[in-house]
Amino acid sequence: MAATETQLMLSVGLIEKDVNRDTLWVWCYPSVSSDLRQVLLSKCCLTQDSREFHTFVFGQFCRTWFYISTVEVQEPTALNKVTHFSIVVTAKDFNPEKYAALSRILCRMYIKHGSPVKMMEAYVTVLTKGICQSDENGSFLIKDYDIRKAFLAGSVKDVVSQFGLETIILYTALMLKKRIVVHHPRIEALLEFTRVLPTLTWHRKDWSILHPYVHLTDTELEDLKKCPGYVAGFVDPEVSNRSDLFDVYVNLPDSVITVSQSAKEAMAMGKLHKDVGLLIVQSAEDAERSDSQVIKDISVKTKEILANLAALADQCEDSKITLESLKLHHFPPATENFLFHLAAAEQLLRI
Amino acid sequence: MEEVDKILIHALKQVGTEVSEETGSVRQFSSELIVEAVVRCVRVIDPGLGGALPTSLPPGMSARFRVGMSLAQACQDIGYKGEIGYQTFLYSNEPEIRSLLMFLVEKLPRESAEASDQPQGKSAVLQRAIAAAIRAQLSVPWLPPNCRLPLHSQTQSPGALHSFHVQPLSLAHCSPGKKPLKEVKDYHRDILPPVTAQPSHHASVVASILEQHTAELSAAQEWDSEWNSQGLLSRLKPQEYRSRKLTRLRKRIEEQLRSAALPSPESASGGPRPNGDLSELLQAFRGSAPSDHILTKGSHFTHTQKFTFTKTEPSTSIPFVHQSDSDVQLRQQEEQLSLQEQQLCSEVDQLTADMKHMTVTHAQVLDKLKQRELGNSEKEEKMQVKKKTIDLLPDSDDNLQKLKALVEASAKRVVHLASQWEKHRAPLIDEHRRLKEICSRQDLESSQKLSEIKSVHDKICVSTEEAKKKEETYKQLVTELENLPQDASRSAYTQRILEIVSNIKKQKEEITKILSDTKDLQKEINSLTGKLDRTFAVTDELVFKDAKKDESVRKSYKYLAALHENCNQLIQTIEYTGTILREIRDLEEQIETENGSKTVANLERILSDYKAIRQENSALAAKVREG
Repeated sequence: MAATETQLMLSVGLIEKDVNRDTLWVWCYPSVSSDLRQVLLSKCCLTQDSREFHTFVFGQFCRTWFYISTVEVQEPTALNKVTHFSIVVTAKDFNPEKYAALSRILCRMYIKHGSPVKMMEAYVTVLTKGICQSDENGSFLIKDYDIRKAFLAGSVKDVVSQFGLETIILYTALMLKKRIVVHHPRIEALLEFTRVLPTLTWHRKDWSILHPYVHLTDTELEDLKKCPGYVAGFVDPEVSNRSDLFDVYVNLPDSVITVSQSAKEAMAMGKLHKDVGLLIVQSAEDAERSDSQVIKDISVKTKEILANLAALADQCEDSKITLESLKLHHFPPATENFLFHLAAAEQLLRI
Repeated sequence: MEEVDKILIHALKQVGTEVSEETGSVRQFSSELIVEAVVRCVRVIDPGLGGALPTSLPPGMSARFRVGMSLAQACQDIGYKGEIGYQTFLYSNEPEIRSLLMFLVEKLPRESAEASDQPQGKSAVLQRAIAAAIRAQLSVPWLPPNCRLPLHSQTQSPGALHSFHVQPLSLAHCSPGKKPLKEVKDYHRDILPPVTAQPSHHASVVASILEQHTAELSAAQEWDSEWNSQGLLSRLKPQEYRSRKLTRLRKRIEEQLRSAALPSPESASGGPRPNGDLSELLQAFRGSAPSDHILTKGSHFTHTQKFTFTKTEPSTSIPFVHQSDSDVQLRQQEEQLSLQEQQLCSEVDQLTADMKHMTVTHAQVLDKLKQRELGNSEKEEKMQVKKKTIDLLPDSDDNLQKLKALVEASAKRVVHLASQWEKHRAPLIDEHRRLKEICSRQDLESSQKLSEIKSVHDKICVSTEEAKKKEETYKQLVTELENLPQDASRSAYTQRILEIVSNIKKQKEEITKILSDTKDLQKEINSLTGKLDRTFAVTDELVFKDAKKDESVRKSYKYLAALHENCNQLIQTIEYTGTILREIRDLEEQIETENGSKTVANLERILSDYKAIRQENSALAAKVREG
């Protein structure tokens, strides 16, 4: 419903960098808790010492999605003493395109008028009506930005072309709700890559496991550990030493996937995995098929496996699987192991 | 001349000649003195030549003559270019003697300049003394213990050596600014033993004190240099700086421990157990325990491995047992034990499988719980909204309108509030920025001042170094000056030289003046004579022309000629007088020099010596004739 959708937006904030090279959180509506404010300031590229300028970054913290657009102020402007500013929009849903468009409009308004009041008007209009006028022709409509489009915006084919058959490791980890950590020094590449990974488990459509931009600070890591399984993106190369944080480590610039010692047993792979892996690779390599078709192919195979699992569960009493019941079928050990853990992930295991 | 003589006398005294205090100049030297001086000088200059020469004149005339000849020969061998013979020594002549003595004194080898070149600072003196002592000790040959003299005991036996053993000492000094407690003072006064009694071995006292002092000194120096370079720049107080440094170092240590404790991801040989103790330790540091699962899983693996290994061992050992009574008993025992082992193994297997199952189900349950909780909160929210909607449902259209109006009104109000807030916020932000600018400007100024302070500090260091060096060199020079011989003062030399130079300058000026005067005079004379000749020639002609006709003119012509002739003679006489005067002056000078060479006295002596030699000759001839 359109009404509940607008309740997804939580707050909007403004960070400015002035001629004294000082970065301040200057304004927000309605309010932002101080923890979240700290985190947002650390994510904003204006507070970082390096001169890299990231136009748009997004991430998740405490089940809140934040979207930060940064703009450099060009003369002439109504803003004096401000060299750069960032607009932060926090929301409950994952939809980078929608919030990127919204923040662009808000940025332009702020530059033009020099005061956040106009910006807030536009924000409130979007909040109440789901639509707002933009400076360019046309207006911003919330309903233009469907969530499915956000889910499908990434490219699975790129992931498969980078990792080939090793994509099956990522698939397995996601299916078994393991912890994946991805590292890349550039945040844009990180965001682009990590947002695609939940599409491999399309049947769940759960993007709350995605934490694309995390720093190695205590508050963020505490929050991360609350999720049993996640896909976390780090810009800091130190994360490779933190084997307590991951079961699978993806070194994106070198295209290397490592499974940590503790998870090797659960992630053992056999013939079933090989089949699925080959299917993924074949489907992605086919130039005729688009990204969404590839995702569909993968999800079809996943449903097949889950259907098998459900059938196995039905054979047992109270439709829950036990290890003994699996052993009766004399699967190869890797497949048996995989099915056992998958049952746990899909809540099919008898307790 | 007196200064020259003084220098000569001083040099001769240094060589060893006994010159009495009254002889102030070379003129007063007697022949004996001359001979002694020359011989001593020659001995110093060339010991080979001078060794054969006696220092005093023998009484016999011929011997004296011989001595004089050999001395003259020696002087010529050394390199004296002037005219020299036996007469220079026996019938001496002041200028000749002076020049000979000056030549010899110059030829004297200079004092070795080594000592004055070496730096005479205290440490250099000490080092040279140490080097000399070590050289002396090294030159003494090593002797076996039985043959050693007490002289060698210090340097060649190891008894006097101690190993460098250090013990910590506690000193009773209090740090400045802090008053020590009364108990501490009492402890220091009554109970703490003195520093020399604190170490367990008396031999380690020196070592301990040295160690303590060097440690304190180096710590103070390091702190000084660190504070001056980084501490001042950080603009913190010393305690704050130290505490920050401490926290920084602690963090680094933690990171290092963590990275060192983690096993490498490539070590996959047969399920190795991670360094359980150290990672447990790190867990204790961090105070979180979610990775207990990992540790227990690891231990499962090792347990299963251990037991699988032990299980295989007894099974392989069974077929090797022999068939005999005691062996049968052993066999039975072994069977029992193997049964027990199998039981235990199966139990352990069961337990591991259970634990594995438990962990997986635990994860599943947690996941479910989390999902349920989230679902609950979402549903609650939805329920709230639905409840409110249901409440408003009866009068839906009206309420909808009301809601819309309410929403718009609150939106407007919120915007209005925002603009009001903006009115307050903007000036505050501006103020903040302005103050920040001032602050950064002050920072800039203070950092400039800091750099100035640093440069001044450096300059101070450099200047103190220079001052120290200059003081040292001053002390050295003062001691050197004191050590220098106090006679023949240098300033007298320099003054005399300067006087002579100025005199010579004046004389040169006068000479040039006189020369120029003479030149002018000569020019005038030349011009006048020329003029005279020309005038005479003209008048001569003129008058001669008229002289043929007139008698009076002829008479005047004769007078003119006579006048000219007489004047010429006058001029010649004057010139002649001048030359004679010059000759007189030259002769007078010659007379003086001849007088100075006391030729008369020498002639008398020569005559007397000649008579003496003739007497000796006749005496010798008589002796020869007799015997």
